[in-house]
Amino acid sequence: MAVELTSPQREQTRARSPDASGYVERDGVTLWWEVYGSGKRTVFLLPTWSIIHSRHWKAQIPYLARHFRVLLFDGRGNGRSDRPAAGYEEREFAADALAVMDATRTEHAALVSLSQGAQRALVLAAEAPERVDGAAFICPAVALGEGLPWRGTYSWDDELDTDAGWAKYNCSYWLRDYRGFLEFFFSEMFNEPHSTKQVEDAVGWGLETTPEVLIATHGRDPLDTAAQAELAGRVGCPVLVIQGANDSITGPGRGIGLAEATGGELVLLQGSGHGPHARDPVLVNQLLHRFLERLR
Amino acid sequence: MITDVVREQTRARYPDEEGYVEREGVRVFYEVYGDAPTTFLLFPTSPISHSRLWKAQIPYLSRHFRTVVFDPRGNGRSDPPATAEAYDWWECVRDGSAVLQASGAREAIVGGLCDGAGYALMLAASDPAAVLGVAAIAPYVPMLTPPHPSGAHHSLDEMRRDYRSFLESFFAGRLPEPHSTKHLEDCVEWALEGGAENVILASWEAPKPWATEEAARDLCRRVRCPVLVLHGDLDVCQTRARAEAVAELTRGTLVALEGSGHLPQARDPVKVNGLFKDFADSVAPPAPKVKTWTRALSRKRRALYVSSPIGLGHARRDVAIAQELRKLHPDVEIEWLAQHPVTVVLEAEGERIHPASALLANESVHIESESAEHDLHAFQAIRRMDEILVANFMLFLDVVREEQYDLWIGDEAWEVDYFLHENPELKSSAYVWLTDFVGWLPMEDGGDREEFLTADYNAEMIEHIARFPRIRDRAVFVGNPDDVVPDRFGAELPGIRDWTEQHYDFAGYVTGFEPVADREKLRRELGYGPREQVCVVTVGGSGVGGHLLRRVIEAFPQAKANVPELRMVVVAGPRIDPATLPEHEGLEIRPYVHQLYRHLAACDLAVVQGGLTTSMELTANRRPFLYFPLRHHFEQNFHVRHRLERYGAGRRMNFETDGPAEIAAAIAEEIGREVEYLPVETDGAARAAKLIAELL
Repeated sequence: MAVELTSPQREQTRARSPDASGYVERDGVTLWWEVYGSGKRTVFLLPTWSIIHSRHWKAQIPYLARHFRVLLFDGRGNGRSDRPAAGYEEREFAADALAVMDATRTEHAALVSLSQGAQRALVLAAEAPERVDGAAFICPAVALGEGLPWRGTYSWDDELDTDAGWAKYNCSYWLRDYRGFLEFFFSEMFNEPHSTKQVEDAVGWGLETTPEVLIATHGRDPLDTAAQAELAGRVGCPVLVIQGANDSITGPGRGIGLAEATGGELVLLQGSGHGPHARDPVLVNQLLHRFLERLR
Repeated sequence: MITDVVREQTRARYPDEEGYVEREGVRVFYEVYGDAPTTFLLFPTSPISHSRLWKAQIPYLSRHFRTVVFDPRGNGRSDPPATAEAYDWWECVRDGSAVLQASGAREAIVGGLCDGAGYALMLAASDPAAVLGVAAIAPYVPMLTPPHPSGAHHSLDEMRRDYRSFLESFFAGRLPEPHSTKHLEDCVEWALEGGAENVILASWEAPKPWATEEAARDLCRRVRCPVLVLHGDLDVCQTRARAEAVAELTRGTLVALEGSGHLPQARDPVKVNGLFKDFADSVAPPAPKVKTWTRALSRKRRALYVSSPIGLGHARRDVAIAQELRKLHPDVEIEWLAQHPVTVVLEAEGERIHPASALLANESVHIESESAEHDLHAFQAIRRMDEILVANFMLFLDVVREEQYDLWIGDEAWEVDYFLHENPELKSSAYVWLTDFVGWLPMEDGGDREEFLTADYNAEMIEHIARFPRIRDRAVFVGNPDDVVPDRFGAELPGIRDWTEQHYDFAGYVTGFEPVADREKLRRELGYGPREQVCVVTVGGSGVGGHLLRRVIEAFPQAKANVPELRMVVVAGPRIDPATLPEHEGLEIRPYVHQLYRHLAACDLAVVQGGLTTSMELTANRRPFLYFPLRHHFEQNFHVRHRLERYGAGRRMNFETDGPAEIAAAIAEEIGREVEYLPVETDGAARAAKLIAELL
């Protein structure tokens, strides 16, 4: 009997189910959204890289929903949204986000993003300022500030003669051993000791999509450093950056650089990696609550 | 003289700028503290009080906001106009507006209490551009709701006849919280500075700003900025219904304070300061800054040591305890929140002083300001230090919220211990309390009043411990059960010894040094000859001892005649300038001496005050000494004396009756004498450290 690679495990019991959910279609791509709670302010949890889907916010949703209206959607390429063969540019994600806001009658919202989601958030905050009350970034994957030196060591699209370490961040390796890549990547993301469950969760969500989709998302980023710096400079809303000081995916320099470029508040988490919202949810929830509560 | 004004106690913070604004011939006095970008203007109330009513807020708020206060017409340093019209509510509002302008601020968060909260709301309604937000405690908005049913029908005759007794009952009603004696005294003194007539003009005869409930409601509705309302449920001045109406009509937030009266800014300053700060931050978010949080398992083991600066003694023993603690937990990082003169010892020992220490309000300066000729009313000096204690607690709180510590150690850190019990939800670390005496005791000449006050302070402490045993994870008595005085905490209160044995662990005495093994060698090292009869005179770390030094110096010629080998060494200490002391042939005067205890161990006689540390150092080294307890110093006159008598140590002298002749005679009798003191243990620091280490 063949084992289906992507067979997801049954989803574990949620602490809170959505109060409303549905699909919105944009340009032939169907997107799944959920709304929790009914507070006056909407908090919009943006999708990150399509390697995982909206369940990565599971430790935030139940808490934030008691204080705010929480809106989220699965980014194209994972979860219950479509997995088109192409169309993974940053502006597509930003347009998807606006379509979800429209579909849920959300005039404006505070954005919370993780990693790659930062770029969508920057586009929205700079180009649709009337719809963005504030922007919180967790370990933003931006081209601002200092990156990690070892991330440039290996080619992504050439066949390599090694699978060691970051050589796994390679398109051929993804096709050869997708699970191996996910396990490596998420062990780097959650590099705090005792992070087994966070790694398992993320690997499981990664298996819900395919290496082909990830390859399609890769390198489609039209936002170079100059474009990102320009967007960051235009952000007028309050900004909070939460950055792990041990972040070995994008590096602490990125969050520091984004806070400087936007004039935002920076909270540096000593001992934390790239996913503090999952690994230190109590602290991150409080930081988000405090930030969101103070927005006008 | 009816106004019998008490000298103002030391402030925790003095204004950076002060001045007057003058409108139509009336001068209003204002003060500005700090230079933060956001301004916080605090309105006064009617002339029944003045700007000191905010004394527990100013030092804290001014670290975060530029804080502006002013005295009302008719009290403090503002003019007292003689007509009722000059006390019109709108005049008070315009005074606030003029003060704000004079201070150079275009806009501010505005706070007020009672009628002052009314003025703040009126300013917000009439000049919305100037007001970012209103923080209103027990707001008085005339006509808005029916007045408080217990509202006083005060007799003006009674006010005029005996204003003080009127005020005592008036403010007793406004401070229903138990143990509010100091707050009540403050309020009465401030009111007496203005006198009854100005209050009668302002509160009875001046025109009210409007005549109908609808006008009052309309005023509130015109306030568009964020509003915070605080109200105590035991307030007999303003009703909850009125506070609710203000909050509702201004779309503001009401924080109900249960168990509180009309003056929570005085009685629960830590809570009110926190509410004011959070409100102001929400209205005018502070500039972004970088904050750091460290994951629990990534943290180093850290302790914050708060060492009382009153006298140098605690510094020595605290360093010894810290050194023993490091033996048990080599990885622990200890930081000190401490001030001069403790920092002198800490720096010499290479200890790590937290940079916020520089912001502590100085307690030694206050204690000196409270002292007279060889006289320090220690209990009243501590009471009159209330503003400094709140200010220093707020600093402690900022430090422990910014940084993560596993343990707080407070050696007679009164502010930490008191306000943690008053605000138990703020305890976020293990906490150890150390002291060498338990119980405030009245001096004989303090009469019934002092007996009542000391018992009241003791009762509050006993209630704190009984109700919140979780605050002190350890209470360590520096000494032994026999060192505890046999007195009672008060007529209706437990015996101090029994209670202390039930609530403390005993570490034994902590000298902070190794006993001297070879005294002759030490004498040679210090340059004291074998035939010399060395008499060391020292008054500890504060400046209180100048008079005793002078008197002993006066006795020197006669003493030298009695004891020809006499060599007298006078140690002035860090706070007395040696140049101000008289000189004699053969007399040495030195400023601060590092490791004074070595000189005390080497001497043939010491002359000291009645402080515990120095007298116990002498006891441990088995040296004869004369000690002069400071007049009115309950700790030296009761607690220390009891302990020294138990050890059979020292010869107690009396500053009232013992002049130079008596001192010279006593020197001759005591110098070089063999003594038979009880031995002092040498493992106190290790025992204290062991008790503390269990919490790390």
